[in-house]
Amino acid sequence: MMWLDHNYSVLKPVRYAIGYVLVPPQKVSLIPQSMIYWLGDSASSRDTLQKQNDQLRSRNFILENKVQRLAALEVENMELRKLLSASTKVQDDVLITSVTAVDPDPYTQQIIIDKGGSDGVFVGQPVLDAHGLLGQVIDVLPFSARVLMIADNNHAIPVQVNRNGVRAVAVGTGSLSQLDLIYVPNTADIKVGDTLISSGLGGRYPAGYPVAEVTRVENIPGESYATIHAKPTAHLDRSRHLLLVFTHDAGRVPPVELWQDKS
Amino acid sequence: MSLTRLFYALALIFFAFVLEHIPLPPIIDWFQPAWVLLVVTVLVLIMPGIAGMWLCVPLGLLLDVEYSSPLGLNVMLLAVYIGMLQLLYRRLYLFNILQQAATIFMLVLAVQILRYWAMVALIGDPRPVMLLTPALTTALMWPWVYAVGYMVLQRIR
Repeated sequence: MMWLDHNYSVLKPVRYAIGYVLVPPQKVSLIPQSMIYWLGDSASSRDTLQKQNDQLRSRNFILENKVQRLAALEVENMELRKLLSASTKVQDDVLITSVTAVDPDPYTQQIIIDKGGSDGVFVGQPVLDAHGLLGQVIDVLPFSARVLMIADNNHAIPVQVNRNGVRAVAVGTGSLSQLDLIYVPNTADIKVGDTLISSGLGGRYPAGYPVAEVTRVENIPGESYATIHAKPTAHLDRSRHLLLVFTHDAGRVPPVELWQDKS
Repeated sequence: MSLTRLFYALALIFFAFVLEHIPLPPIIDWFQPAWVLLVVTVLVLIMPGIAGMWLCVPLGLLLDVEYSSPLGLNVMLLAVYIGMLQLLYRRLYLFNILQQAATIFMLVLAVQILRYWAMVALIGDPRPVMLLTPALTTALMWPWVYAVGYMVLQRIR
């Protein structure tokens, strides 16, 4: 049964149905957290709220200004894409979700979100926060889903350097503040401070979202590959509200037999 | 068995799953007890005629979905755990609370080792499994959970 569930999807409906039974205890378990948030919000003083409001107003003003420029760039991009006969889809559909729990196993970097199969969430769906790519959905229940974060040591994501387009693979290290770039030649043009964006290769993540910022580049003479560390741009340990991306190509992966280890 | 007793047994299981899911600060994650195993122990010790090996199927499947582990893994682990509990039932019933806690420590430790072996053998996933801390905190929580379970289940007849 374990082997069947791990290798094939025949038991997925069973898992999904059992998810309905778990909804009541999961809802009850979130009551203390909701109360703490509610108490925290209620206890904010008028001055704090006023300051927060002012900050948000000014931030909104700056963002609106950026969006105005973005709209013009988007139209220009679409026109150029039309000239190249490429897809005109630039903006992705998103669904806002909240983090309800963090997996208690300290050896994994997974979180639970409050949207599930009933909201159209699917396995492989990319998840973002306000600052960058956060991870992907790996398990869907009726009213919740499990997200594997990019920092998990079983996760890897194809990236490219925003400055020059150099491609690499960023793998999780198990630490929320570090990703490693693997198999990068010593001669590759990657510098500290470079922004890494998703390249879209592999078909799981949409291209162009910020993933990490390079924090350390070490070229050891005699070694074939450079040691490169990067810090995820997404706030993996702090974000409460996330975005589920419904991209045209997101979550489409090649058939299992093409990429799964046959040994 | 009265319906009230059954209701309280189900309520204990419900709260075990609530506690399994409850969000905790990262530092406490290392010390989260195995709440479902604790409640199963209480049920098997206090209601041996009703709570038995069959519990491993529904509770194991629920745990598998809760932790996104392969379906059947926790069914097998719970079956082993309940089997060992039933073997040690007479001794456990006569032990004092500290001896009971020590036995539960060993049983939970055995379950965690089995979990690791099963993941490696069947799935090839060598991800580390917390061995000592859940066993230790489960044993430390045992006197309190047993007291609550005894109060709820044994006194209602």
